[in-house]
Amino acid sequence: MAEIDIHAPGVEMVKSLCYFCHANCGVLAYVKDGDVIKIEGDPNYTNQGGLCCRGTSALKHVNHPARVNHVLKRAGEKGEGKWIQMDYDEAIKEVADRLNQIKAESGAEAVASAGGTTRTDDWARRRWLNQFGTPNGFHNALLCWIPTFMAETCVSGWSPFETDLGGAKSLILWGMNPGASTLPGMHGYTDLQLAGLKIIVVDPRYSETASKADLWLPLRPGSDAALALAMLNAIMYGGMCDYDYIDAWCSGYDELMEHIAPYTPEWASEITWLEPDLIRQAAAMYATNRPGCIQWGCTWDQIGRASTTGSHAIALLRAVTGNIEVPGGDGMPGPALNFLTDEEMEANETLPEEQKAKQISRFKLTSWPGYTLISDTAKRQWGKTLPTEWFCEAHGPSVFKAIITGDPYQVRALICNATNPVNSYGDAKMVLEALKKVEFLVTVDYWITPTALLSDYVFPAAGALERPIIVTHYGATDSLMGGRRAIQPKYDRHDDYMFWKKLGLACGQDPEMWPWENIEEAYWDIIEPLGLPIESYDEFVDNVRMYYPPLHQKKFEGHGGFWTPSGKIELNSTIMQELGFPGMPTYIGTIENPIDTPELAEEYPFVLTTGGGFMPYHHSEHFNMPGIRFIYPQPFFSIHPDTAEKLGIAYGDWCWIETRRGRIKMRANVEPEVDPRVIFCPRGWWFPERDGSADLNNPFGCLESNVNTLTSVDAEHCDPMGGSWANRGLLCKVYKCTDIDHEFTADDAQWSIPGSVSEPGVTVMPSDQPLAREPIPFEKPQPTKDVPEGYYWVWQDDGIYNKESHFKLDDSGWLIDPKNKAYIDAYTGWRYDAAAECLVDDATGQQYTMDREPITYVAGVRTYPGQAAPYEVPSTLTWDTELGYARLGDNMYIYDPNSGWMIDPETNVYHDANYGYAYDPTAQNLIDMATGKRYSMSYEPIDENPTAEQGSAAEPSAEAQVEAAEAAEEE
Amino acid sequence: MTRYCMVIDQRRCIGCHSCSVACRVWNDVPEDLIYNPVLSTGVEGEWPNVHRNWLPTLCMHCEKPACVPQCPTGASQQDADGTVWIEYDKCMACKVCVNACPYGMRDQSKLQPRLHQFIRKCTFCRDKRKMDPDAQPYCVATCHQKARIFGDLDDPNSEVSKLINSVETVRLLEDLNTGPQIYYIPALGGTR
Repeated sequence: MAEIDIHAPGVEMVKSLCYFCHANCGVLAYVKDGDVIKIEGDPNYTNQGGLCCRGTSALKHVNHPARVNHVLKRAGEKGEGKWIQMDYDEAIKEVADRLNQIKAESGAEAVASAGGTTRTDDWARRRWLNQFGTPNGFHNALLCWIPTFMAETCVSGWSPFETDLGGAKSLILWGMNPGASTLPGMHGYTDLQLAGLKIIVVDPRYSETASKADLWLPLRPGSDAALALAMLNAIMYGGMCDYDYIDAWCSGYDELMEHIAPYTPEWASEITWLEPDLIRQAAAMYATNRPGCIQWGCTWDQIGRASTTGSHAIALLRAVTGNIEVPGGDGMPGPALNFLTDEEMEANETLPEEQKAKQISRFKLTSWPGYTLISDTAKRQWGKTLPTEWFCEAHGPSVFKAIITGDPYQVRALICNATNPVNSYGDAKMVLEALKKVEFLVTVDYWITPTALLSDYVFPAAGALERPIIVTHYGATDSLMGGRRAIQPKYDRHDDYMFWKKLGLACGQDPEMWPWENIEEAYWDIIEPLGLPIESYDEFVDNVRMYYPPLHQKKFEGHGGFWTPSGKIELNSTIMQELGFPGMPTYIGTIENPIDTPELAEEYPFVLTTGGGFMPYHHSEHFNMPGIRFIYPQPFFSIHPDTAEKLGIAYGDWCWIETRRGRIKMRANVEPEVDPRVIFCPRGWWFPERDGSADLNNPFGCLESNVNTLTSVDAEHCDPMGGSWANRGLLCKVYKCTDIDHEFTADDAQWSIPGSVSEPGVTVMPSDQPLAREPIPFEKPQPTKDVPEGYYWVWQDDGIYNKESHFKLDDSGWLIDPKNKAYIDAYTGWRYDAAAECLVDDATGQQYTMDREPITYVAGVRTYPGQAAPYEVPSTLTWDTELGYARLGDNMYIYDPNSGWMIDPETNVYHDANYGYAYDPTAQNLIDMATGKRYSMSYEPIDENPTAEQGSAAEPSAEAQVEAAEAAEEE
Repeated sequence: MTRYCMVIDQRRCIGCHSCSVACRVWNDVPEDLIYNPVLSTGVEGEWPNVHRNWLPTLCMHCEKPACVPQCPTGASQQDADGTVWIEYDKCMACKVCVNACPYGMRDQSKLQPRLHQFIRKCTFCRDKRKMDPDAQPYCVATCHQKARIFGDLDDPNSEVSKLINSVETVRLLEDLNTGPQIYYIPALGGTR
């Protein structure tokens, strides 16, 4: 291949974004004749020109021969792999008809939708789901940030996820490995570390990031909650809190002090395998090197029952050390007040209340009950709220169970958008069974994944370079970044918005609800309120690309408190209590561990961790790309050399890894990367190079090396608050494959509810399974004062709020808008404008008097029809009560009391208030329209004998005014 | 004069292999070859006092390359700026240079048609630099960690000169006296 000349004529450079992981690195795409000929990393973006192996391979992805390019409709049996190619719009019509039929027969809730890591906004899907009427949309959100976000929001009013590392002195990277998953971030950490930042890494594996750490805590997988509680204990009982901060901004300190007492480092030592001194050292390093940051790690949401307990405790670590929302600490952006949030694009108001109640989830923190409490608080405090997409979803595994069992009701159709649930959700064989059993399965994807193989329809998806990308961090932040589409989607590929729009219209949804021709138009609506001097989304990308509001830390000082129901950082969370959870983190162990289940540990002696992102893959993606697969062609698990020696395992041996729920095979990577008691298995493995239809018990080998075959999604194994299931801290055993035992068969991973190889099938209905923790009864206090109609009372701050707007009813009788602290008229919703002493309807811009009468303007001058003159009127003028302004003789000029001039409403020309002469701004003198005679500003007549230059400059202007004045008179 | 070299900062490398892939994508390297593999011995030491390093490699573009004088056809050449490269039209794939290179950085692709099985290697992206003199080799441009730094050693103000003059660097197999032009900044060692 000859070198590609990006400077050749006809080559256009387009600012795009990478789409292969959440980092969304900046990409410069060079386009010629409608096709991308080359890409490179954008040096002026977060990645500073860097691109990882996935991003670099984008052109191989766009043109990959295995991509799905047209709609495929199933022609043979499910999974047989026989397809008919269809016209896109015809296929949409067929799918819509079938979905409408299911809705008519079983209700809209019988249609569910699984989403994947779309790495951009996903409101279009929710917009469709809401209008269709189903509450059963879900992602893998419960394993990724959302329970943490909700717990943090309960504590401090938003997630403090925007680290201000430039000013930080310490940083904890807890359960995250940016060295393999967020490379632009790792670059920043490395720079700062070489400049003196102390980095603590918490990871059971000696990860890429751990290898660069200042202090590394190799804890027992799944014991994160115990470590967090012990660090909290060490800080609080070590006297290392920020007491001024706690005094001013936190509530519940004494209760927490008492609550945390038993969780000493000595107590945690047995659970975490860390020496008490090491825990104290880490706690002191974080608490004394202030300000400091704790970067969220995916692990927090993947330790099953203890997930939210862990992230709740970590949220408190930040609070007691005064690191929330301060310079150098963890900042809370809050919702976007300057542009439309994802939530405002979701049309949540179209989903009826009775449909919300049907959402399949028993985990209140992350579904409608918890979302409503948190969202209403956000509306009261910030003025805007979180999206429902991601933050208020059905419980994915429970939906799969509902497909199999019909409990709580039969889910009949599933739309999988950009996800392959067999590989990404827990209990893979149960998911596989659900995908086989579901009556109607539609998939939108790049490839024929195991899920797509089992589908009735497969729709081709537009990918990186073929779609614009907007980065709003799940709609949970006030900044925004964007990339343009480099090329239109190839073949019949469509971006998500077009898929959902077309499906919505075909289902009979109101076209006015889908007003945007393409996604760029919708993005323009989102960013238009920024008021930038641009006119399209593409212009935004070309000229702005990244929008950040001015950095505003310590927003709580201006706000007068935190954004919780009580206005304080709630060390004992009231929202948690109201939902029936402990208000303070209360330890609960992982489902299987050597301390709580010693009998299990005898048979399964090793602790299994299923690991995070690893190069070169992202989730279950990119296994089809030989150009990067060569880096990691086969599944390897990590085992300590001492353990391997005992088990007779050598490097590269194929081994079985078995839990109570099944077994998978992987090859052994024997190195001291993990503790001798730990087995580390990477996730996501499937084998697209195989014939998927050959073995439908294991299509494309999607079970045989897939760690999710080993995980559990039983209701009692899930986090009782957020619903996360356990990917970490399970118990397993390991043994070598032998000559007679090396083929993966259907019996190796049988599906069951609850997951258990020994008892296949449905042995208990999901609703009958207990949760890990009984709800704690909570009685909400009764109002202490009268609550007017249309208002509600909040017990935490004893405030009264408007039901519609959620604005606080002030003692003065006015409502207060939290967005700008403006006073709002409680009857009309109009804002009080103190400068103009009037009310303003911000929707229309119309002003009203304090008596709520419309204010009229003529030629920019306020008029007072039917009133006496409210200002002094010059003696040359007369007050016209009917019109409400002062006039000069019979002409229609309006007296402007601010300037003392008369204004002609037709032409906006200024006239003097004594004679009505027009002001000529060019010549800076007056002109009598009737005679054409000119006067100086002190009414001295001017000789019509000016110099040539002055004359040529003044005359056309004066003539134009005369003509305009004549025209006005004629009318 | 210009004398190109590369500094590889092992303190920064996290073993993501992006350099190898970028090189293969944009230099159209056959799938059975890698010009610039990232090597590692894996995690070493006694748990938990372990450490791990990565060694990104490429042609060393030696001052006195062992390969060039051995080439019987003159296909292997060295530019005045130090770049060692192969003129494919002259290469008859005799592999003398493959055996001569002490670093194993030259090889032949068996996936190519027989007449195109000439010897291939890293050229510091010579073609890219010919088209755009300020361009960085692909492996350098793509590196998130900025662990590979490319530049002119004869320019005292270049980043490579400054690094080599301020930080201790090592070169591989220096005792062979070929004058390799890849300078490594060793990692700090393990944690804890």
